[in-house]
Amino acid sequence: MRASLPTTWRIAWRNLWRNPRRTTLALAAIGLSVTLVLLYDGILRWEADYIVDTITGPMLGHVQAHAPEWRRTRAMDKTIAGVSRAIDALRRDPDVAGVDARVYAPALAASGEEGFAVMVVGVDMAEATRPSRLLEGLQTPLGGRRVLMGRLLAEQMGVKQGAEVAIVGQGIDGSLANDLFTVAALIDTSVDFVNRQAIVMPLGDARELFAMGDEVHELVIYARDPARAGPLAARLAGAPELAGAEVVDWKTAAPGLNDLVELVSVMWVFVLVLVFVAAAAGVANTALMSTFERTHEFGMLLALGTAPSRIVGMIVVESLALGATGALLGTALGGAVVGWLYYAGFDYAKFTGGGPTSLSAFGVTFTMIIRPRLASIDIVRVVMAVMATAVLASAWPALRAARLQPARALRE
Amino acid sequence: MPIRPVCAAAIVALATVAAPFSPAAPVPQHPSPPDVDAVLARLDDLYRSKSSIARMEIIVTSPRSTRTMRLKAWSRGEDEALIVIEAPPREEGTSTLRVGSNLWNFLPRIARTIRVPPSMMLGSWMGTDFTNDDLVKESSMHKDFTSRIDRRSDTPPGWWISLAVKPGVVGRWARIDILLDDANLPVEERHFDRKGRLARVMTFDETKMLGGRRLPAHMTLTPVDTPGQRTEMRYLELQFDVAIPNDTFSLSRLERGK
Repeated sequence: MRASLPTTWRIAWRNLWRNPRRTTLALAAIGLSVTLVLLYDGILRWEADYIVDTITGPMLGHVQAHAPEWRRTRAMDKTIAGVSRAIDALRRDPDVAGVDARVYAPALAASGEEGFAVMVVGVDMAEATRPSRLLEGLQTPLGGRRVLMGRLLAEQMGVKQGAEVAIVGQGIDGSLANDLFTVAALIDTSVDFVNRQAIVMPLGDARELFAMGDEVHELVIYARDPARAGPLAARLAGAPELAGAEVVDWKTAAPGLNDLVELVSVMWVFVLVLVFVAAAAGVANTALMSTFERTHEFGMLLALGTAPSRIVGMIVVESLALGATGALLGTALGGAVVGWLYYAGFDYAKFTGGGPTSLSAFGVTFTMIIRPRLASIDIVRVVMAVMATAVLASAWPALRAARLQPARALRE
Repeated sequence: MPIRPVCAAAIVALATVAAPFSPAAPVPQHPSPPDVDAVLARLDDLYRSKSSIARMEIIVTSPRSTRTMRLKAWSRGEDEALIVIEAPPREEGTSTLRVGSNLWNFLPRIARTIRVPPSMMLGSWMGTDFTNDDLVKESSMHKDFTSRIDRRSDTPPGWWISLAVKPGVVGRWARIDILLDDANLPVEERHFDRKGRLARVMTFDETKMLGGRRLPAHMTLTPVDTPGQRTEMRYLELQFDVAIPNDTFSLSRLERGK
């Protein structure tokens, strides 16, 4: 005789609730561990996305192009020439979301007699003021020799908004570059080097100051799909508009930052191990206890001619039902918590006892407000892990029940 | 005894040491190795005096362009110097004042005087391959380096002298090799960085009489890691031990330009 599957499930479900307290406890253990795992996954996913955005948005971009030797020497005269045509072509590229064109020139800045080493950064203002870019939301109009200064640099120089500063450097032809500028605003960006060292000005002003033509030191390209920065870099490296330039994705440009992202992205593995242990403990305990107590019952069933495989099936199905129910409850609860935190934001800084509200690492400032998020793969992974654990944890009790000698089992 | 790389002495055109240059300085017999201290003392004084006024031409060649500057330089003692650019017109009047280890640039176009901060000392001086540091290098390098005769050179006939930095000294160069010909005039100077790599080479030629001394009038500084890049410096006029007004090495004089 072959029982239909729904029958087995019905019996298994009924068996589970023969000991409501034990089953409830097992469900709570599984459910809570799934909830915590989803919350942790959510934070990790947010962190990975956030780190990538924070790293690439303001400064690095997803893909960068330079003259071949610029990354090594940072020499003023290593530029990409004829760049406006390249920018136009890139902006028409369907995979490109934006292009910033930059000039980097070391210079001496002074408001009085004392000179300070600075880096003049010329940027495409239209691109750099877009959301999540270096000058996100900047309202101050520039042009007419009005510039932005990193706040820490300004403090060091004793310069206030509206002050006049002299900038002295070397033109691209080796000539002396010097002019007076007005500090239109002090800026706080997420990029340390900009806050500490930079004077930011529109690309045109920087080119004029340093006697540059239609050329830049760096093209920063934002991909429509950040995850595909690598393939985009590979394709653009062969594109005619960037012929002769070195094109790299941000992972190559900033290997240290990439390592940080990679580290975060493998941490879910440890978390999965956690679920296995918690779920296995809950399921295995329940399955073991319930099979031991039912030795007599299994002996009876076997004596009545029930196939041992059916008993194995029933015990496995009981475990699966327990695991699935726990996973379902956990997913619902975990999803709700993650969803709520996503909208409300979780200020980690509150837990540092009035400590810093942001964290600086690798030259980039990160905020400490956590907004966890989940992808369907996170949920699938956890549910699969719980189910696999349920099957494994029930294997031994199930096989033990199947091997029972009916006569001996009946005497227990 | 004071030792310093010739190029530093040459670019500032100069300071002086207590013992004035003597044309009758004994020239050691060759090929037996010269007395290294005597040779270096003479080398030290080659471009130096109690005071000097020089006019020179600097040609900066890069893969991109060639730029020629003419400048006038005054020096007094070991650590006072004023350099004023006379040409090209775009940079005319731009001046550098050195007093001790301080360096100020005056920029006539924006009428500003700016002191060069320590962090910019390794930056280029006026777009040349010389660094600001080359201009202010102390003449007390004998404290930091030990010297010895290294080996005999055949072409040109002369001696290689090697200066090695003493342990525990912080500085840009680990070793400086100087080739002197048998007239004890510098032919080549090689600078090795802290990792022992050759970083730049300075060559000396066009030996002639300048300010009553026989010395190389033309120097070429070639950074090793940037192909196609070099800075040449040529003395057009050089006077030693001339009277220089007291206020020459002051900020107010700096701002008057030429």
